[in-house]
Amino acid sequence: MKQFLTIVCFFFAGMIRAEDTPTITVSKTDKLSIAIAGLGGADAKILQDDLQRSGFFSVVPAASAAFTASGSSGGGALNGSVADRGGKSVLSKTFDGSARGRIHAFADEIVETLTGNRGFANTKIAFVGTRSGKKEIYTCDADGSNLVQLTRDNAISVGPCLSPDGRRLLYTGYHSGYPDVYAIDLGSGARSRIMKYPGTNTGAVFSPDSGRIAVTLSKDGNPELYVTGSGGGGARRLTRTGGSESSPTWSPDGGEIIYSSDDRGSSQLYRISASGSSGRLLQTGRSNCTEPNWSPDGKKVAFNTRSGGGFEISVVDLAGGGARSIGSGNDPVWGADSRHLLVASGGSLILLDAVTGQRTTLLSGVGKISEPTWSH
Amino acid sequence: MKITQLSPLIAAILALTFSGCAKKNGASLPGGGADGDYVSGSALPDRQEGVSFLGSNVDRNKFAPIYFGFDADSLGGGEQGKIAQVAAFMKSASNTIIIAGFTDERGTPEYNRALGEKRALSVREALIRAGAPGGRLQTVSFGAEMPADSGSNESAWAKNRRAEFGVVR
Repeated sequence: MKQFLTIVCFFFAGMIRAEDTPTITVSKTDKLSIAIAGLGGADAKILQDDLQRSGFFSVVPAASAAFTASGSSGGGALNGSVADRGGKSVLSKTFDGSARGRIHAFADEIVETLTGNRGFANTKIAFVGTRSGKKEIYTCDADGSNLVQLTRDNAISVGPCLSPDGRRLLYTGYHSGYPDVYAIDLGSGARSRIMKYPGTNTGAVFSPDSGRIAVTLSKDGNPELYVTGSGGGGARRLTRTGGSESSPTWSPDGGEIIYSSDDRGSSQLYRISASGSSGRLLQTGRSNCTEPNWSPDGKKVAFNTRSGGGFEISVVDLAGGGARSIGSGNDPVWGADSRHLLVASGGSLILLDAVTGQRTTLLSGVGKISEPTWSH
Repeated sequence: MKITQLSPLIAAILALTFSGCAKKNGASLPGGGADGDYVSGSALPDRQEGVSFLGSNVDRNKFAPIYFGFDADSLGGGEQGKIAQVAAFMKSASNTIIIAGFTDERGTPEYNRALGEKRALSVREALIRAGAPGGRLQTVSFGAEMPADSGSNESAWAKNRRAEFGVVR
């Protein structure tokens, strides 16, 4: 009887698997070939760029493609589908949102369905630009389009952080003459000054659920890390050192924070529970480690190291092993796919593939670009 | 009464201990705050609304800036005379002073903002040790913004690693 049940279970498991969407594991630099059909020239170009930018696809003519993505627009929506070479449908879905947004959403769905990885086409970017002569915060889409100057403080506006859902933004603004933390609701445009403690208020970053904020404050006499509520109140101190703590970044589960501290001389990365306790040194084998950013898959941290007169981007795997350098640049931030980074380099915004090292200029001509932040 | 007389002394000893030796020589306690409960500076007073370092009611040229070594936030021996001057002024006048910390361009943005604040706080602690009242000493960090010299060479960087004094009129 027991044996019979086991056989039945296997039988059903097999059936369920057969119904599942095929997931193909793409490793390293392997690319899937895909053709685009049905969409108009401009829309097809947006989809093609998105798919190629993902790093997982090469867009080819239908005759040599393993998959064909088809789209038809109508009534403010996009019907997107993907079929394999045999004509079998592997994806069929309707996407709404803005004209570009629904194509980006289709691209992300293709990436996720065919590779099992998260896409980043339908996300927002914010950064500091100097085009107006002052440092102001700008936003754009993940392909560099829809550039908008968000702040017009005519002061110093720096250190932006988008909430993971891309709906809110924190930044450090000097409008009062002091570095304060401001929050902007990107939907309504409403802005509020949420931290104005004595001394410095900077480096504010949303927790993954946007319910808390980690920040560097000096109100108690030293630059230390604090966690506040989403409105900036109830600051609770995390670190107590003789050095300076900066650049907190949250673990995906919101339970831990990695930050930079020069408490032992050269800046190193430390890891601490978001509810307190003590910071533990994160071994990277590097010195002058600053501006850490924790990947959304939780597995690695990108950070800056000094190299000659400039800066390098390094990545350390939290499972162990030393850090590896993946190219020059500043202020790395991971995309939703935990594969690509945005970095500021030479005044431009660069998309850096941490797997292949490939660099793509996403945006330039906004003055000197620095301190990117990326929604997921 | 006894406690209020003692606490500046304790603060001074703590400040000397930690600014003098613990920092930058690897002898500090393991991890960020593994020791528990010491505070390396004294709490800042609340801000005065409408008063800031860049305001028109602030004299930014009354005292010479304090200069720092590369990546350093401790005060060199040559800067102590400037501290004594500012402390003497504060003891004889009732003005508030805003100490603004700056860095050179060779650092990443958040690191520089923290370092600038640390420099301003080092100056503040030195002034408190010299007898200036901490309740009239504010700090602000501009990181690498507003360099005194916009050049990209050692001479410019040395001028930019500084803390300036803004005397609120």
